[in-house]
Amino acid sequence: MKRREFLKSTTAIMGAAIVTGAPVAVFAEEPVRGGTLIWGHSETTQNLDMHQTGTASTGRLLQNVHESIVSADADFNIVPNLAASFEQSDDGLTYTFRLRDDVMFHNGDKMTSTDVKYSFERVMNPETGAVNFEVFNAVESIETPDDLTVIVKLETVNAPFLSRLAENGAGVVMPQGTGDVQGETPIGAGPFKFIRREFGNEVELERFDDYFGGPAYLDKVISREITEPTVRLTGLRTGELHMINDIPLDRMSEFEGNSDFQTVAWFPLNWDFVNFNHDFEPFKDARVREAFDLMIDKETLMQGALWGQGKTSASPSFPTSASYNDAISQRPQDFERAAALLQEAGYGPGDLKIVFKVTTNYPYHVDSAQIMLEWFRAGGVDMSIEQLTWSDWLSQVWVDKDFQVTMMNFFTLWEPDFLYYSLYHSTGGFNYRKISEPALDEMLERARVTVDTDARMAIYKDVQQYINENTLDVILWFRNGTIGAQPNVMGLDTVVQPNGSEMNFHKVWLKA
Amino acid sequence: MTYIVNRLLSVALTLLLISVITFMVTNILPGDVAMVIMGTQSNPEALAGLRESLGLNDPLIVQYGRWILGIMTGDWGTSLVFKTAIGPLIADKVVASSLIVVMSMTIALSCAVPLGVWASVHRDKWQDNTASTTALFGVSLPDFFFGIMLILLFARYLGWFPSSGFVHPADDFLGAVRHAFLPSLALGLGLMAHLTRMTRSTMMSVLGQDFIRMARAKGLRERTVIWRCALANAIGPVITVAGLQVGYLFGSIIVIESLFNFTGMGWLTYQALLNRDIPLIQSTVFVIAAVVMLTNLIVDLLYTLIDPRIKLS
Amino acid sequence: MRRFLTGKGIFGGTILLLVIVTALFGPLLIPETWATQMDMRARLAGPSITHPLGTDQLGRDLMYRVLLGAQTSMMIAGTAVLMSLLIGLPIGVVSGYFGGWIDNVLMRLVDTLLAFPALLLALTISAVLGPNLTNTIIAIGIAFTPYLARIIRGEALRVAQMPYVEAARSVGTSDGKMILRHVLPNIMPPIIVQATISLAFAILAEAGLSFLGLGTQPPDASWGLMIQASRDYLDIAPWTALVPGAAVALTVLGLNMFGDVLRDVLDPRIA
Repeated sequence: MKRREFLKSTTAIMGAAIVTGAPVAVFAEEPVRGGTLIWGHSETTQNLDMHQTGTASTGRLLQNVHESIVSADADFNIVPNLAASFEQSDDGLTYTFRLRDDVMFHNGDKMTSTDVKYSFERVMNPETGAVNFEVFNAVESIETPDDLTVIVKLETVNAPFLSRLAENGAGVVMPQGTGDVQGETPIGAGPFKFIRREFGNEVELERFDDYFGGPAYLDKVISREITEPTVRLTGLRTGELHMINDIPLDRMSEFEGNSDFQTVAWFPLNWDFVNFNHDFEPFKDARVREAFDLMIDKETLMQGALWGQGKTSASPSFPTSASYNDAISQRPQDFERAAALLQEAGYGPGDLKIVFKVTTNYPYHVDSAQIMLEWFRAGGVDMSIEQLTWSDWLSQVWVDKDFQVTMMNFFTLWEPDFLYYSLYHSTGGFNYRKISEPALDEMLERARVTVDTDARMAIYKDVQQYINENTLDVILWFRNGTIGAQPNVMGLDTVVQPNGSEMNFHKVWLKA
Repeated sequence: MTYIVNRLLSVALTLLLISVITFMVTNILPGDVAMVIMGTQSNPEALAGLRESLGLNDPLIVQYGRWILGIMTGDWGTSLVFKTAIGPLIADKVVASSLIVVMSMTIALSCAVPLGVWASVHRDKWQDNTASTTALFGVSLPDFFFGIMLILLFARYLGWFPSSGFVHPADDFLGAVRHAFLPSLALGLGLMAHLTRMTRSTMMSVLGQDFIRMARAKGLRERTVIWRCALANAIGPVITVAGLQVGYLFGSIIVIESLFNFTGMGWLTYQALLNRDIPLIQSTVFVIAAVVMLTNLIVDLLYTLIDPRIKLS
Repeated sequence: MRRFLTGKGIFGGTILLLVIVTALFGPLLIPETWATQMDMRARLAGPSITHPLGTDQLGRDLMYRVLLGAQTSMMIAGTAVLMSLLIGLPIGVVSGYFGGWIDNVLMRLVDTLLAFPALLLALTISAVLGPNLTNTIIAIGIAFTPYLARIIRGEALRVAQMPYVEAARSVGTSDGKMILRHVLPNIMPPIIVQATISLAFAILAEAGLSFLGLGTQPPDASWGLMIQASRDYLDIAPWTALVPGAAVALTVLGLNMFGDVLRDVLDPRIA
């Protein structure tokens, strides 16, 4: 019901892709095998180890090389993948995975339970530096009674365990003993095998004919790393590239009306929020945070920074997921009320001197900060901006928590535990705002051990309401993801997958 | 001979100093590579584990020793962010950058010498003024701004050259030259302007000398006097200056390569700086400084060979 | 004076004067808010009557931004060159005047620093210190010091070997007096010429640093920063790059022309 309402209210389809500008009579066509697809990739790939890599850019590519133990369908049900079936014991402490018998790795080995055990233990081991290692925090033992069975025993109930395995690479299975080479030459069980990387330039993938899901159509995929948006667009226009991801936001309208190209917009790519340091004296007062919230006109900011390529939201929960709370809403801009609240808290006009730290890694954040700066100044706050490179932002804001106001974006993950526990629990791994709300901690801990899904989701709705009422952050919007392609690239509606893969080439083919 | 030995010794000393400075500077860099690797997904325990396994907890002197030993034995370590061996990576990028440095040098010299000669022959006439003004504009235009205009004109509107990317000369030589052309042009403009001014002034001083008057008096044709006699004497200093400008070019490639997405040394250095990839910063900065040093050395030594007057110190 | 009145001298001087006047008085005449005022209905708008030079991606007027940017650019470049002079002058004079082991040590250090391309040095320093206005000045200042020190040393060496200086030394004039009375006044003209040219390079360096995101910070208007922001809109709004680019080019051109003429007048030996 809620899902349908959301669909009506926005132009892009949630969690899936819509294709525009494509020739109309495509449905009857039989896919053809062959061809090399050249993709203009918006970012440079870094460490190619899927367990270690924390960047979306590298993950985007590696989703074609790797497969997870389980996956998710469009409704976010956990579905079999490398495991043909799985079951959870009644006490929620034991998970049994029955593996498929026909999974081959790119190195020619057949997947067995030892590979799964190896991969899980690799992620668990803190020395690996795996980004998702806390998924396995509660794991007591991993047993392999036979070649095709894996039994994972937990010490305590971890309700989101299965869905975390389906998302973001935590459940990726690598052949036993290949950990050391994954960073440079990834080996997996996915539809494409890694051939070579010309550093900073391009990555070549080749079809893996023994893929358990049936061989892909394309012979090869070449990912050209072109970080400059204008250059990427030029490449698409001149035909040097078959497709590009991340069309600059201001160009979407220009491309959408153009029948020479296909565009894919999916929603949401990520979500953005403005953060307060809860340890900074003025922001300890909820009234001050609310006053800042009241100075921001979210819709205008979205139009300004995203050129309309997004949708404002008061909740960061995945819009079509069961945990999304649609009862809360964003505060409209109200300078009078903001001034009154600041006065109440003891701050007159000009009393607050605030530095807004923003990372140049996201140019639209820099634009957003400049727009907000004008509002904050109009609201009597003496604000200045400090631009930081990505690594400086990480060290100053993320690790040292040395900031007053900042802005960040996150992937939209549909598993709410990952989202809320890590961001809002006082001990959460992503709690760089030093949020410490005992009432919120209690809710989040309770949700973790609540096995009944409906009850668990109800708790998360309360969590969202709490965040909104107390203005812990200013949640701004969901941002669209975009792809532009030549008319002969087919199967574009399959590139975005619910498991977080946004560039899956398994079903993509090139028309002659 | 003693001059050459002394020169080599001082180069070795300077290289050592360069390595110390590079290492010291990169170690005051704020930020931590472990953090950068993990991005927004990092958490204290995983970070601690990663720091330990990367050797970031060792004392500085141990880290420097390890690095300099590695440099000398050919083991340059692994890029922390990109997880790949630094040695081969840099070797690859040096090839790319050499391509645009050589191309821009060629473009600059082949334009600057005729222009400078032309200006000097027509001293203070309109030809001289035109050439001098062009040269002044060339030194004044920021290279990245010139690069942007080249992209607009030749890639976007005319479509003659690709606007970005690097193709390895071994794979496709013509493609490599086509991709390197616009960045080389952007890089070469300032150099060309500089060399035009240089050619003009050396030519003028040569043209004022007695042997030129003598040659003219002997009835040699003016063209021969200028291109054979005068230029032959003026070209030495021009080439020397061109050689010394390699350092300037290696500074400019950082901006130009990142603008053209040309993945050479400049691009790599910028990426390393942005990502706080400390081993990679150390190696790229060290290599660039060393290349500059060695080019200057070669220019010096060649000059002593060409001009026997400056054999001693 | 007459020698300034060449075409180059007049042109260069006029540009320079205009830039300096804009830098000094622009901020008094143009309120800063005019340059930060956004108009979401006129983003990336071409030149028009309301916005003679067009607007940027946030609908800010490019004319006001480029005028106010003059101050930022000139201030950074001027202070940076002053800083490198203040460090480079003592190093160069001491090295050139005294010679010997001091000269050896100092010049070895300077040569080492010279092996790092100035922009690379400035970039690394800026990365170490963190990008902001003060640190940009420091980064460019340090990066330019070895060049100035090298040139000053050469000049000081030349002056120190002149017969009258040697004569003065032989009658027992103290080193301090020698440097102040004889060395400094004689090396000033070439230094002034060199400083003018360095100023041109410093403006280019500031633009380059800001272009790479390691210089001036928004919403301050700086020419390099404006060019950086224009990168994503080049093909649809080329004026966002052309306007600040032309400002940089003209200023540097003015400085170079003026520097050339200055050299002809003050230091005819080199020309």
